[in-house]
Amino acid sequence: MSQIQCANLWQMKRGIQSVIEGFTPALDAAVKARLEELGFHQGARVLCTQAPRLGAPKLYKVGNAVYSLEKTIAECVIAHPVTSE
Amino acid sequence: MKQLLLVGSPNSGKSMLFNRLTGMNQRVANFPGITVDTSTGPAVGRSDLLVVDFPGAYSLTPLSGEEQVAVDAFYKLLDVPVGHIEAVVCVVDATRMEKGLVFALQVREACRRAGHPVMIVTNMHDVLERHNQSVDAEGLSQRLDMPVIPISAKSGVGVDQIITRSGQGIEVPKSELKEDLIAFDASVFRNLAESLANEFGPKGDYLLLVHNRADQFFLSTLTGGLSFLLIMFLLFQAIFSWAAPLMDGVESLIGLTADSVLPLIPSGMLHDFVKDALFGGLGAFLVFVPQIFILTLIVGFMEDSGYLARAAVICHRPLRAFGLTGKSFVPMLSGVACAIPGIYAARTIESPRRRWLTYFAIPLMPCSARLPVYGLLIVAFIPNESLLGGAVGLQGLAMLAIYLFGIVMALLIVSLLSRVKAGKGSDLPFVLEMPPYRLPGAKTLGQLAWSRSGDFVKRAGPVIFWVSVVVWVLGYFPNQGANLGESWLGAIGKFIAPIFEPIGLDWKYGVAIIASFLAREVFVGTLGTLYGIEGAEEEFTSLAQQIQDSGISLASGVALFVFFAIAAQCVSTLATLRRESGSWSLPAGLFVGYGVLAYSLAFVAFTLIVGD
Repeated sequence: MSQIQCANLWQMKRGIQSVIEGFTPALDAAVKARLEELGFHQGARVLCTQAPRLGAPKLYKVGNAVYSLEKTIAECVIAHPVTSE
Repeated sequence: MKQLLLVGSPNSGKSMLFNRLTGMNQRVANFPGITVDTSTGPAVGRSDLLVVDFPGAYSLTPLSGEEQVAVDAFYKLLDVPVGHIEAVVCVVDATRMEKGLVFALQVREACRRAGHPVMIVTNMHDVLERHNQSVDAEGLSQRLDMPVIPISAKSGVGVDQIITRSGQGIEVPKSELKEDLIAFDASVFRNLAESLANEFGPKGDYLLLVHNRADQFFLSTLTGGLSFLLIMFLLFQAIFSWAAPLMDGVESLIGLTADSVLPLIPSGMLHDFVKDALFGGLGAFLVFVPQIFILTLIVGFMEDSGYLARAAVICHRPLRAFGLTGKSFVPMLSGVACAIPGIYAARTIESPRRRWLTYFAIPLMPCSARLPVYGLLIVAFIPNESLLGGAVGLQGLAMLAIYLFGIVMALLIVSLLSRVKAGKGSDLPFVLEMPPYRLPGAKTLGQLAWSRSGDFVKRAGPVIFWVSVVVWVLGYFPNQGANLGESWLGAIGKFIAPIFEPIGLDWKYGVAIIASFLAREVFVGTLGTLYGIEGAEEEFTSLAQQIQDSGISLASGVALFVFFAIAAQCVSTLATLRRESGSWSLPAGLFVGYGVLAYSLAFVAFTLIVGD
């Protein structure tokens, strides 16, 4: 397992798996709670499955579901990459 | 009558299960608005059991004001004496157990506290079986102290077990799962759901493999963009061209009915009323129903196949710049054919704010009803000349310009509105679940399209009928329809003539604009009647000649272009907006706001051209 410096989910390239470290204070508490319910909680493994160009929302697999997160949300999720696909 | 309450996450197949259980063809909305949209129906074979389909929800902890309304309604339903609810059925997508179980555990706890029986239904076992996977329903049932029934709502396997099991009587779960649940702690539900899904759910990451291959194609910059354009082209063709034979068929049917009925009514007021208000006014509205049917069929296919979520991802970034969302694209594109199906398509936008902004954009899209008006004005005011050695026709260029003008205005206005309204009220972030790619069932789609089309007629029809009656009465009296210019409508046209004088238009245009409130294309027919030309809708040239001969200037023609591009004077659109938004405030605001803006910009255009 290669430990790389902490970043946010938006910075993850396609095929990169990461572990969520936490959330930035800028994230609304209700949105944070919803993300956690969907599986984006501290310690969860998230795989960036698609990273379309031109700033389109990226796709992340968490648990057994895939979600698209727009930049403003994904930037608030602090994570560190662990493996490549 | 006892109730069987269906709850579950979006895309869990809950509504398909409802239709299986009741034999109906409904789909509840995930955008409750002011009231929660539920469907109810008696269970097949159990007339004493009412099945209630509740809108999909991710959590009993609401994120927005609208979700709060839905959650409150759920708790209100639970607030009935013990025994009135036979069972609360929580539908979980078996292919994504963890996500569904978070909500199911919350529902279990809420039901346990309220003293109502609850069961979990793990749906989509047909998909699991194709991948040699299964759910340990018995083990999960024992762990949670509640029935767990594996089913496939698509094939119907196991569905009868739900009614049988609930009819046998289900015990209310006795045990609390963990002490922390008392506080409805999200992390406890989540951790428990994760461990339960790992222990009893399907194993492996087959889902990712299936998703990824398709997503690589549909979301890549090149193939994703091209496939998106192709699919949107087909959608547009379907609404604009493929629906045409069906619309012609409905029109012919209405014509045949009119030909059969009208000779039976003696000449006079009743005859004229049935001919003009019923067959003319209401008939013109019914002609649009095939478009609604085709649109709901295709949007339903895109939704159920999982593509609509991908299309939203592709469009999100460019539309976000204007305050809209990726899901606004299909409604706006549909609005180019007709605003009504566009407004219906906006149902797929979960965010209330962005849905409202999309409602503001749709009436400005250059709909097909504007086409006859633009066609007439182009023939009347734009010379039939060519540019670039005949490669580009001036009239075609004018048509393109006026279409683009509408689209640009739509984006500009919603962009301004989104900035003005920014920060007001709650909004949902763009966190969109990517449903698995699936082949939708033809029967389900057909039933859904039929049901929504019928719903459209039932809800919007009465409003359109009464407006048709009012416009007809104004145009018919006091001289029994002998002369439109001398009617009350004509009097109103003359009364408001000073309003249109500053843009160089006389009372005839005022009357035609008022009449076009029924439908924009009525403008052409009314103007034809006032100029004494029968069948003006089919024959533009002679009416265009009359308009030219009347001495109306190019500046006034451009002002009319601008006015029709912006004004929201279509009663069918306003009635549909009222039905979808739940109040008259939005359609009334749009009518007045766009009317004032249309007139102001028309005046500016007129002044600029005259000044030249």
